[in-house]
Amino acid sequence: MTSPTITQVLLSLVLVAISIAVARWWRIPVAKDMALGSVRTFVQLIAVGYALELIFDLESLWLITLAILIMITVGAHAASSRIKQSKGAFPVTFTAMIVGSLFTLVAMLLLDIIPLEARYVIPLAGMIISNSMNASALAIDRLVSDIQSNRPAIETALSLGKSWRVASGKFQRDAATTGMISILNFMKTVGIVALPGAMTGMILAGAEPLEAVLLQVIVAYMLLSSVTITSVVAVELTVRRFFTPFHQLR
Amino acid sequence: MAKRNSSQQGDVPILETVGLSRFVRDGGNIKIILDDFSFLFGKGHIYTIIGPSGAGKSSLLRLLNRLDEPTGGDILFGGKNTREYGPCQLRRLIGCLFQTPYLFPETVRDNLLYADNKLPSKAIDRLAEQVQIPSSMIDRDVETLSIGEKQRVALARLLATNPEVVLLDEPTSALDPSYTELIENLVKAIVRQMSLTVIMVTHNPEQALRIGGETILMVAGRLVESGPCEKVITDPQSEAGRLYKAKRLK
Repeated sequence: MTSPTITQVLLSLVLVAISIAVARWWRIPVAKDMALGSVRTFVQLIAVGYALELIFDLESLWLITLAILIMITVGAHAASSRIKQSKGAFPVTFTAMIVGSLFTLVAMLLLDIIPLEARYVIPLAGMIISNSMNASALAIDRLVSDIQSNRPAIETALSLGKSWRVASGKFQRDAATTGMISILNFMKTVGIVALPGAMTGMILAGAEPLEAVLLQVIVAYMLLSSVTITSVVAVELTVRRFFTPFHQLR
Repeated sequence: MAKRNSSQQGDVPILETVGLSRFVRDGGNIKIILDDFSFLFGKGHIYTIIGPSGAGKSSLLRLLNRLDEPTGGDILFGGKNTREYGPCQLRRLIGCLFQTPYLFPETVRDNLLYADNKLPSKAIDRLAEQVQIPSSMIDRDVETLSIGEKQRVALARLLATNPEVVLLDEPTSALDPSYTELIENLVKAIVRQMSLTVIMVTHNPEQALRIGGETILMVAGRLVESGPCEKVITDPQSEAGRLYKAKRLK
């Protein structure tokens, strides 16, 4: 495929118009969101395109780190605002995403899976961070709701002399699983139900399919690592806020 | 500090509260849950706590089980401040059975093993016999049990932790008269056979008379009267006691 032109982008707006028309016809109240979303997609992606060009040209480690930190901060804010009881959730989502994302990225660099170049690090960090963002929001939301709706079970366990960790263990595991469920489902169906984004992107850009597949396998393992670590850290930091040092449910 | 009430002369003290109080914030106000509660519980005796709704009866049990922290005062167990015990260790010495029993959604046996995973089969049979659970019921799923049977399983599970003091928070409030009588007889039997100290909250003065032992009358978070149950219930000496007897305190 040749590089897309602005004309092609403008022509693809026909698809947006069709979607808006269908939504209006069915009286689904999302036409405004669709229009706004399409504009935002254009503006945000063009902006990030210029930013990436700058970062790739400068090839500065500080700039790469700054870009990743900004992505994590915005992602952590988005994750915390998606949690129903989001008060005080930002430090948790931020820490969980920092640990999960940076561990995975650093491991990939140390194992020489990817080179320390903005062209590789930034796009992969974006995938890691967006998946970690979903994982932390889902895991925390599930944990908060489970602990609140299972107070009798937890207090029964505590009153039988169990520690807070044992008393809330099932809910911690369920919450961490919820955080990981999308990557686990993805790994079950990858290549069968859908061709994933990184691989599709490479094939569209002209890469050999096998080359694209290998990258996609790396991406899947990378996401598994970051999502697992982020979920576990998010659950660990959240669950502690529900208990006093005397093993009492707050 | 309020006058310290004591158990019968010559009793071996096992549990003592000294100026125990608990206040909580309720909006902008401070709500008194328990106010300067001092009492000495003797080993191997049975105590009933009566009083109108909101008197602080259940809150007292939660403090004794250390599910909540007091605002002031001390609790001594075996002469030692309960703060010197680990909370988990303390809760196995001072066990609590809640108004609505929570059983883990497994079998009766699994619930007993939850309290002590080293419990041999013989001990499980003995505990079941003690609370009159037929042996055919031991491997049944708890979901198939009636509320009265569940309450007995919860009592057996509590006894499996080998407590020295048993706290019962209105254990018969959800039961019909035949199950109520059965639980009352079981409570009297465990005090007699195992020399346990039982502290039972009830909203029903008639039940306190059937149980016997000593009765503590609480009103608005304060201990207003205590002594042999017949005396406190049928011939109260305090104004609050007389009002409670006349059913003018709800």
